[in-house]
Amino acid sequence: MEFKKEILSNGLTIIGEVNKSAKSTAVGFFAKTGSRDETLQISGVSHFLEHMVFKGTEKLNAFEVNEAFDKTGAHFNASTSEENTIFYAAVLPEYLAEVTRLWIELMRPALRDEDFNIEKNVIKEEIAMYKDMPSFDVMDKCRNFYFDGHPCGNSVLGSTESIDNLTAEQMRDYFSARYAPNNMVVACAGDFDWDQIRSIMADACGQWQKRPAERELKHYTGGKKQKRLEKANLAREHICLMSPAVSAKDNRRFAASLLGAIIGDDVGSRYFWELVDKALAEIATMIFGAMDGTGLFCSYIRCSSENVSKVLDIIRDIFQTLSENGVTNDELQKAKNKLLSALVIKNELPMGRLVEIGFNWQYLQQYRTIDDDVSAIKAVTIDDIHSLLEEFKPGEFTQFSMGPAR
Amino acid sequence: MAERFDKRILKNGLVILGEPMESVGSAAFGFMLPAGASQLPAGCCGAGNVIADWIFRGASDKDSRALCDALDGLGLHRAASVASSHIIIGATLEAGNLSQALDLYADIILRASLAEEQFELARQLAVDGVHALDDNPRGKVMLKLREQFYPEPLGRSTAGEIEELEALSAEKTKQIIEDKFNLSETIFSLAGKYDFGAICRQMESLFETDAREPAEPLSLADKAGLYSHIHNDSAQVHIGLGTETVRPPDKDYYNARVAVSVLSGGMSARLFTEVREKRGLCYAIGAKYHGMRDAAGIMCYAGTTPEKAQETLDVITAEFNRLVEGLSDEEVQRAKVGLKSSLILQSESSSSRAGGIGTDYYMLGRVRGLDEIKSKIEETTVDSVLEFLRNNRFEDFTVVTIGPKQVCVNK
Repeated sequence: MEFKKEILSNGLTIIGEVNKSAKSTAVGFFAKTGSRDETLQISGVSHFLEHMVFKGTEKLNAFEVNEAFDKTGAHFNASTSEENTIFYAAVLPEYLAEVTRLWIELMRPALRDEDFNIEKNVIKEEIAMYKDMPSFDVMDKCRNFYFDGHPCGNSVLGSTESIDNLTAEQMRDYFSARYAPNNMVVACAGDFDWDQIRSIMADACGQWQKRPAERELKHYTGGKKQKRLEKANLAREHICLMSPAVSAKDNRRFAASLLGAIIGDDVGSRYFWELVDKALAEIATMIFGAMDGTGLFCSYIRCSSENVSKVLDIIRDIFQTLSENGVTNDELQKAKNKLLSALVIKNELPMGRLVEIGFNWQYLQQYRTIDDDVSAIKAVTIDDIHSLLEEFKPGEFTQFSMGPAR
Repeated sequence: MAERFDKRILKNGLVILGEPMESVGSAAFGFMLPAGASQLPAGCCGAGNVIADWIFRGASDKDSRALCDALDGLGLHRAASVASSHIIIGATLEAGNLSQALDLYADIILRASLAEEQFELARQLAVDGVHALDDNPRGKVMLKLREQFYPEPLGRSTAGEIEELEALSAEKTKQIIEDKFNLSETIFSLAGKYDFGAICRQMESLFETDAREPAEPLSLADKAGLYSHIHNDSAQVHIGLGTETVRPPDKDYYNARVAVSVLSGGMSARLFTEVREKRGLCYAIGAKYHGMRDAAGIMCYAGTTPEKAQETLDVITAEFNRLVEGLSDEEVQRAKVGLKSSLILQSESSSSRAGGIGTDYYMLGRVRGLDEIKSKIEETTVDSVLEFLRNNRFEDFTVVTIGPKQVCVNK
């Protein structure tokens, strides 16, 4: 695999990882913008804008965009989070240039009023859809509760009200401010000719105007709060726990991922043996989520109403035992094995590599090979895990739960 | 690239299939055990999920924790699922650990401890899984749709029924395992990096037993009816719609796949265009081909707020019915490119290939190569798809809704 990079004079970063043995290629734009870059007045605009990108340009309408993608057989999509909006496609190598040109065009969308008004309905349907997915809803609400006014707690979808009130003009302003070339990375991974793709990108994106696009970064240390929401139509208790962790730039992120797996991997973890294996909870997982300037440990637990207090007592015991006795060498080794094989499997696909190299560049301005990550995971010691436990005290979490009336 | 498939059948009938992949370091495997939901005795709906959990709670000389530690020690990513026809258990892992993993899976399949106290826990988790479906109306509507659409027992819920799970005993479940884990009807499939000779020698020493008689063929009952509604004060009405089509071995299989792709293959397909792009009725809308050996359907899902539910259903059924009226060259071309491209993209993943070749063998009695599938897709034309649609009109639609409001289902 060979890494390639060029930064245009307007700040757009073009990166690529060439792997001639791949059968496909993945290409994508990474815009460093998401709900944390929004104000309350425009809540949900990043995600709505992601939808609007597919509505076309001055030259193409939405139907033509869809046809142009489908003509190539590309598997394409986009997603918006608290801090990133990404647009990506996996294609057969012979269609790469065509799909790349299409993405480039779409990155300068028309944002027409009439498209905006129809798509508003789709966004509101998406908001309604997630309301019927309590496992998602509880995390969204917990994040908002946990971050307590910090921009990382902003909802990605926004609310029906904020979407109703949003104007196309506000979206156009947001677009100009955030989709500046210096705030974006375009990446390619798999089987492709770097010179060809680089020159397509450089020629077409070179005239995009540079603009200041800042983001306010402050670490957030969380708090120990609790809240429960009753919803009459729910059958189970959905519990979300959040506590602070290291940021995406922090070298301790590998240790944090391992700690997440030791406590809350879906099999063989502390949660698994104490809660799931004993059939007290149907699901109990914990993951580490790295963010820009901050980070989170996030748990999701689903159980019956009758088991809630028992489950929460056990969780307290798990964290108590961890803070007193730490983890064992054996469980650290198992967590490493799991993470290492997941890493290898994910990176066998160009799509997996695209996301990896794109985010590494966004967060670290660094190219990392799979071996770099493998070595970093292998190098984590039990002391690294223990100092994380000591510093971040994952047992002191914010708790948000949703369930039926008690 | 020349395609190669490996195949070996043990004396007892167990089928070993392999697809080597040169550019990967992983291997993925799956055991298709003929104990899926439709194969279970009446009154045991959900036993498949209990079994898929219980057999991992200790095997041979290892207790539950030792077994789990051994699997985790290999860094393998487990996959276990219950389908209509099979329980499928397998994993993806680094190829170097494959042989040790197979030893463990042989213990799990042939020598699971099946301790009584562990049974209660496995059963409780299966019951919890059924309850949790009430908080997942989208998942539930599609399970209910299959139940109503396919002739019993083909569409039987893979999650289970609470009353039947509660009535299930350890003894009964043990008996099901004994009866249904029939190695003579088991398919083992593997893809990625492996040495087929070594795999066969190991499989033979682990799984060679006396041959057993196959299970009796299923006798199929009638469908359960055309429309049902489950009330829920959810934000959306979740609509599941199914209609009959040809099965995978049928000569018109590829015409059916292209037709479904014109309807819902990509964002330029008809359902997305008419329901979402033009009318803004839904966020989630899509239809898929769903094939089993004994029946097949086109299954459609849409989620929409209550006041738009009727219009959504009407637009969907109109689009199904409009297909036979005509197809453009461009849309058939896009559908074909989409199908071919999905095929190649999936072929890069060892786990999807291992699943693919196993399913092929079960459905067709052989594995199809990528080149064969590509040329079959290529052979379809506007005329062949239209002729298929004329000969296989959508007679009726089976519909299930979950939500605050019912819909009216017309033909």
